[in-house]
Amino acid sequence: MRGLNLPTRRRFGQGLGTALALACLPRALRAHDGAHEVEVHVARFAFEPARVEIRVGDSVTWLNRDLAPHTATADGGGWDTGALPQGAAGRITFDTAGHHSYVCAFHPHMKGAVVVRPRAGA
Amino acid sequence: MKALSLALALAATVATFGAEAGEPMNDLEIAHTAYTAGGIDIRYAHLALAVSEDDAVREFARTMIRDHSAVNEAAGTLVAELNVTPQDNALSRALVEGASAKRAELTALTGAAFDCAYATNELAYHRLVNKTVAETFIPAVTVAPLKALLEDALATFRAHEAHAEHMVAELKCAG
Ligand SMILES: [Cu+2]
Repeated sequence: MRGLNLPTRRRFGQGLGTALALACLPRALRAHDGAHEVEVHVARFAFEPARVEIRVGDSVTWLNRDLAPHTATADGGGWDTGALPQGAAGRITFDTAGHHSYVCAFHPHMKGAVVVRPRAGA
Repeated sequence: MKALSLALALAATVATFGAEAGEPMNDLEIAHTAYTAGGIDIRYAHLALAVSEDDAVREFARTMIRDHSAVNEAAGTLVAELNVTPQDNALSRALVEGASAKRAELTALTGAAFDCAYATNELAYHRLVNKTVAETFIPAVTVAPLKALLEDALATFRAHEAHAEHMVAELKCAG
């Protein structure tokens, strides 16, 4: 798994700009070409949505909206966004298919899952 | 038992404070007390890290330092933006006095006795602070950004209360 921390609002804003630019591409192109990004909001001590489904090669970006720092940390410790203060985002790219349960390392009652499906035709 | 009696004494202070003082707390007093309450929990956590050898207790203490520091930092930023000075008050002083007595009690303990006393106090303390923030501070505060900050802080402290409940249950403290 490849992780990338975007520790400031401004840097996250730039990432968001890219995401918005991608959103403007024709739907057919987005559906078949390249990797996708999915966003999970961390707010009021919960991951929203708590379960996301992606394809191999896609990324998930966690954006922390709480005052308290959070993480997204794989149950087995295979990947970890590290500490995300308020307004910060962390991105993980998933290279293998499977079911990834994760928690916040600081608040272990916060649970989520990333389901990574094989890429069609791959 | 001591933890409980302290919590009750502080709760009584909270409940009767308005009546004794003759008027409800103002925004600057509420900001002061909220900030003070966070600082107190950070000090308890540093004590726990100095004394406890229990992984779950140490993890909890690190989370208290991380979260309460973040909340107080946001409070400091807001106070600077609003260009106001929080006001010391009877409730802040009662909290500080109560915490000083509790720290003296905790400092005399080690091992499982410390862990149980710390965990039990964390649960009682967060319950008290959450009740005060939810029922007294948030309804009384008049400045919108301060109300929003208190609501965010309450979400954090409620997570701590649940975490503390879990910690107390796991420690299986007697009595
Ligand atoms: Cu968390």
